[in-house]
Amino acid sequence: MNPTLLRFFLSEYRKRRKKAALITFALFWGTMSIIIFLGFGQGMTTQFRTSFSGLGEDLIMINGGQTSRTYQGLPKGRRIQIFPTDIDYLKARIPEIDLIAPESDNSWLVSARRKEINRTIHGTTAEFASMRTQIPRPGGRFINPDDVRDGRKVAFIGWKVAGDLFGAENPVGQTIVINRVPFMVIGVLEKKLQDSMYNGPDADQVYLPFTSFGQIDSQPYLDRIHLRPRKPGDSLLVEERVRTLLGRKYRFDPDDRYALGIWNTIENAKEAMVIFKGIEVFMGIMGALTLLIGAVGVTNLMYAVVKERTQEIGIKMALGAKRRVIILQIVMETLFIFVKGTFWGFVTAFNIIQLVRRIPINYDNFDLGGYLLRPIFSMQTLFIFLGVVGVLIFLSGIFPALRASRLNPIESLRYE
Amino acid sequence: MIEFRGIKKVYQTGSQSLEALRNLTLEIGRGEFVSIMGPSGSGKSTLMNIIGCLDTPTEGEYILEGRNVAGLNLDQLATIRNKTIGFVFQNFNLLPYATAWENVELPLLFNGKKGRQRRERVAELLGEVGLLEWKEHRPSELSGGQQQRIALARALANDPPLILADEPTGNLDSKSGEEIMAILSRLWKEGRTIVMVTHDDRISSHSERTIRLFDGMLAV
Repeated sequence: MNPTLLRFFLSEYRKRRKKAALITFALFWGTMSIIIFLGFGQGMTTQFRTSFSGLGEDLIMINGGQTSRTYQGLPKGRRIQIFPTDIDYLKARIPEIDLIAPESDNSWLVSARRKEINRTIHGTTAEFASMRTQIPRPGGRFINPDDVRDGRKVAFIGWKVAGDLFGAENPVGQTIVINRVPFMVIGVLEKKLQDSMYNGPDADQVYLPFTSFGQIDSQPYLDRIHLRPRKPGDSLLVEERVRTLLGRKYRFDPDDRYALGIWNTIENAKEAMVIFKGIEVFMGIMGALTLLIGAVGVTNLMYAVVKERTQEIGIKMALGAKRRVIILQIVMETLFIFVKGTFWGFVTAFNIIQLVRRIPINYDNFDLGGYLLRPIFSMQTLFIFLGVVGVLIFLSGIFPALRASRLNPIESLRYE
Repeated sequence: MIEFRGIKKVYQTGSQSLEALRNLTLEIGRGEFVSIMGPSGSGKSTLMNIIGCLDTPTEGEYILEGRNVAGLNLDQLATIRNKTIGFVFQNFNLLPYATAWENVELPLLFNGKKGRQRRERVAELLGEVGLLEWKEHRPSELSGGQQQRIALARALANDPPLILADEPTGNLDSKSGEEIMAILSRLWKEGRTIVMVTHDDRISSHSERTIRLFDGMLAV
């Protein structure tokens, strides 16, 4: 735009500053709403995904059950148990399985430094770590294949167990006694968000090599099998094959939903993600509607501007201003009002998001805060915002501008 | 320069229609200084508006510089107003928030004149009307005569062959009025066509020819 025309416009604008103040505030508020809503919506989705993956990523869990149908002459109500041999059995027959690990657990006293606590102890293999997001704190590790092969007396413990037994001290290398057998702590679980669990959060658990667990526990069957398909999309297929194969092995109807307990977190996550996406979109729409109120204010103001400046527009027309010059002037002014309101709304919302992100999350007692305290300002938010604002600027500016450009020059010149 | 053939202008207000110009035919040659006189309601302003391409006739043909204006769209009319016609109004019609310089600059901006060329032209025009020292002043800081001189400078910005003056001295004291008339006479002598509406015989005496209107027709 030409500097003279720009200066005209600014001096005109300054006169209207007070009138524009309320509308600027509405735009400020609307911008803040849209960015904060989008930020919290996205943050919630991400937190949900993170906390869900706190249990495991692309994980299917299988445990024994009780038949609810008669099958091949066998009565219903039979108890179905799964055994360590099922690991190789399934792995050999279902090529879509990427990782598979057994899990057995029992509750015992765990002691160290004359402190004694009761915790669930699990026996498993190295594959468990990746499926169940068991990430060790620096300086430690999870159970590895050698630990399992050699039946080493080592333990991986949750951070709460570490705190309960050793306080602030580093437990790695220290000894804990489980069921009167000493184990060396080789790693402590890094803090994580976890919203789904069995036997309580992983922070409270103790993990041993599957073979070592067998030495202190006499139970022959498994409590759980964890497996991960190569492709998450195969989860339902894998689930069906597990039912079929184990059904054949243990003689139950593969369609009997109670014979095996299968927790397919992939399918659960899919459903939950749809809900969270829905919330995200809803919040975005709420924000956009709030901004729309501001935009309606701007349209009103611009109609008033056109009316107030009728004579000026008439003069410009008489001097040969083309329609687009008149339109551009009004649209530019709309843009300016918008930029002013939205810029500060944008800055404020951005800072609010950053401030909220600084509030620490209580990992030990995961609740609503865990979802709400990590809003996100993303490129996606920015683009959605710019798109919405762009459309609103156009819509609130163009109609007053068109009206201005269609004014009759003679009547406009006479307008007082 | 200007040719009216059977021009009719009808204003429709509700069910009533008012015939402002009735079958008007007239011709104004290039380089003429013509004043238009007549009582109020005689159609002077309507005639000026049509000549100035601010309005279009209901019927008839208006030929400006050999070109029929009737079928032109809004932007084409705007271009004619910008390049071919310079307007001088009774109430000056300067932009109140713009300086003298900026007011003169406006038609050049609409014509797309660039930086240095434009600045030189504005300085030249303000010099011609003797107001270069007043370039930073806004209309409210200038006398009526000065404002009308700024308006004249603005009318001349794109060097139009036709100047339309609607009661140019109507809001001025006699001394300022004489100054304006002197400038208009000079412009006429330089070869421009001047069409001026007035109801003051002393003012019209500056022109070569007087067209008298009565009830939307030429008075005989």
